[in-house]
Amino acid sequence: MIAGLVVVAALLSQTYYTPEEAKALFAQGNDAYSREDYAAAQDAYRKLLDHGYGGPDVLFNLGTASLAKGELGEAVLALERARRLSHAEDIEANLAVARSKQIDQVVGGVAEDPFLQRVVAATPAKEIGWTFLASWCAGFLLVIVHRFLPRGRRAWAAALAAFSLVVAVPTGALLAAHAYAEATEDEAVVLAKMIKARDLPKDSAKVSFELHAGSKVRVLDESGGFVKIRLPNGLEGWTEREGLSRI
Amino acid sequence: MRRTGSPGARALCAVLLLASGVAAAADVEFYQAVDRNEIGTEDTFRLTIVSTNAPDGAQIKLPGSDDFEILSRSQSTEMSVQMGMGPASIRRTQKTVLILRATRTGSLTLPGASLVTDRKTYRADPITLRVRAGHVKDPNANARAQRPDPLDPFHNFPPSGSTSDDDEEEPPSRSADMDIPRNDSDLFLRAIVDHTDVYVGEQVTMTLWIFSRVDLSEVTALNLPKLDGFWSEDIDSPTQLAGEQKVINGIPYRAYMLKRRALYPVKPGTVTVDAAEVDVITGFLFANRRVHRKSNEIEVKVKPLPSQGRPPGFNSNNVGSWRVSAEATQTEVELGQPVTVRVTLEGKGNLRNVALPALTGPSSVRIYDPTTTDTMAMPRGKIGGRRVQEYLVLAQQTGQFTLPALTFNFFDPETGHYETSRTDPITLTVRPGSGTPPPSTGSPGSAAQAQAPDAKNVLNAGGLRPLRYSADFTARQEPLWKRGFFAPAMAAPVVLWLGVLAVGFVRARLSREDEGSRTKKRAREARKRLAAAEQLKAAGSSDAFYGEVEKALLHFLEAKLGVPVGGLTREGLTEKLRAARVPEERQQRVLRVLSECERGRFAPGAEGAAREQVLEDAEAAMEGWEGR
Repeated sequence: MIAGLVVVAALLSQTYYTPEEAKALFAQGNDAYSREDYAAAQDAYRKLLDHGYGGPDVLFNLGTASLAKGELGEAVLALERARRLSHAEDIEANLAVARSKQIDQVVGGVAEDPFLQRVVAATPAKEIGWTFLASWCAGFLLVIVHRFLPRGRRAWAAALAAFSLVVAVPTGALLAAHAYAEATEDEAVVLAKMIKARDLPKDSAKVSFELHAGSKVRVLDESGGFVKIRLPNGLEGWTEREGLSRI
Repeated sequence: MRRTGSPGARALCAVLLLASGVAAAADVEFYQAVDRNEIGTEDTFRLTIVSTNAPDGAQIKLPGSDDFEILSRSQSTEMSVQMGMGPASIRRTQKTVLILRATRTGSLTLPGASLVTDRKTYRADPITLRVRAGHVKDPNANARAQRPDPLDPFHNFPPSGSTSDDDEEEPPSRSADMDIPRNDSDLFLRAIVDHTDVYVGEQVTMTLWIFSRVDLSEVTALNLPKLDGFWSEDIDSPTQLAGEQKVINGIPYRAYMLKRRALYPVKPGTVTVDAAEVDVITGFLFANRRVHRKSNEIEVKVKPLPSQGRPPGFNSNNVGSWRVSAEATQTEVELGQPVTVRVTLEGKGNLRNVALPALTGPSSVRIYDPTTTDTMAMPRGKIGGRRVQEYLVLAQQTGQFTLPALTFNFFDPETGHYETSRTDPITLTVRPGSGTPPPSTGSPGSAAQAQAPDAKNVLNAGGLRPLRYSADFTARQEPLWKRGFFAPAMAAPVVLWLGVLAVGFVRARLSREDEGSRTKKRAREARKRLAAAEQLKAAGSSDAFYGEVEKALLHFLEAKLGVPVGGLTREGLTEKLRAARVPEERQQRVLRVLSECERGRFAPGAEGAAREQVLEDAEAAMEGWEGR
């Protein structure tokens, strides 16, 4: 036990981790979670992230430890980041638990994301990208091959080229959707216990509504120390950027 | 007939009757004295006028002075029998006690009282008192307070209340700071607090008393102050007036308690409790009178809770003296069987505002919201009691789980320190169920209990998913479309395809003859044919000669017109020549040469000069176009 704590302390104080040390620190974080020492588990996972050892696994464990500790904002932030890296059932499950504990309940308006967002959320960008690139290149190469083949022996090349280009069109459209969503999507999670959304980006403006830790918002604009946020039901307001963290 | 009295008592009465005749002959003593010589304008003092062996019919005249007001007057007489060698003598002493109060400051002289008899007037010596403004501490107050006042008509009364130390039920008496209003000394309202220097959240008990020396029949209205800066709780509100005798600064009053409230300051600083007001009716029947009285204001100095030793996250409402405990109905249960954990907090303090820490547990144990029961208690006017929170705990899976200890931090104003009360951790052992439904306990968790599964080991969904055991440390990668190779890889096949198209186009262009070269080629061909016909003119066969001339002319025409003319009829050729805007004369010459060639090939009779003429005509037909 003491030796383990010494190892953790030594690891936490380092500025660079070897892959083996990173794995040891990850395991120590898991052990701390098992002991219900959630703060120590969070520290270990955060150190890994700070030293470049990220990924959905570390983010998922950080989010789960934060959720167990009751830090709803940190939990949702880490789990949302993990979800952006990989779509996994356990991430969705723990995010559902986090949402069930949130104070804020968004009422009315659009209950679901826009169609494009849902399509993007439902399709893996990496696989879509590689599929498009492969079919695109294959289609054009087959067109070239088709040109050089003698008449009467070109049919297979034409068929494969047509198939490849037909595959390339929808995958290209999906890829464009991912690129558009990535370029336009700017979301954040409320970390502060409570933030106030105002009508205008200044402290003296009237407070429109309040948000609490764990709520996810879309960032629309920035002005000084304020950011303009929008809730899924269309409610908008300006709030201080310190209370938010971008996903 | 029954006789009453004892022989001793009858003997004593006989002695007294005997002595009464002797007393008149004894010396008369008459004097007056005060209990203190230095007083304040707000203080009362006691003037005792003593006359000994005053003759029958003697009258005491009280000293009259505008500098003093008489608040109370009482009289007592005592007799003593002195037995000596001579006849017995009886000494009768009459004491008149006045409670006085100075009306102004300065060195005031209290005139001497007079004892007027039939034969002589006795006069007591005047007394000079030094009067200051406000209160002056009585140096003999402690000594006087420890002995019963023989002049207090109520000093032999047992104190009200069930216990002698129940000081909260006692109205204050002989209190140095208990001012009697100068104008309303017969009936006044007083607000009294038990402490004026307290911590935030510490109880201050405020009691409203009516002190009266007149008959009080009804309280018609009581207006309490707003009590800003306090959280208050009612302790006692009598519905009927119940007076008790009390002596205030030596003056007997009947004290009626109207209201008792517990005040809890909510912020530090000096907080003022405003005056209460009351309307009362004095007297009875037709002699009653409605009077209005206003109480005194009270300033309470509220100290903040000390920062030294304050536990992190301390709730400032947790002030008092508390003890927390926790117990579970059972620690070994079957899966699906709920356990009730009862957390009890008891002690003194503001029970309604105190904040108990919530029971927590591992994620595999579901803890429902508790039901809270508060039982208030006010022993000796101090609010406290017991808060019981019952949690329904339902394990979600088999195993052994520990509910961690609860730690309750509070500030004890009596010790001035932060204290901590802890419970013991509770370990629950959850076994697989036997398949029989658990017995009903009638507890709040019976609903959940009824929903408990019958299966032996049902693992319910929900709760947090477990951590990931191993990690793939991959830094966040850029999207595919943002990586450097993506754009070149996407553009490469397109560029390659376009390149192939371009190469093919160039090759096609390069391999295609232009009109000029074709014309030149045909012209060359025509000239070549014409040269061959020149050689065949003399000795060649007619078919070969005219064939060469015809081919030379046709090649020439194709070169010049840019269209094939080999298979055309004469009309078709004429049409082409006309479309090319060839002059009519040249058209005719061309047609003539072609006709001559045709005739020469198929009618070989014409020789010699005809060949020469055809050759010249052909050259003439082609000469005109050479320069174009």
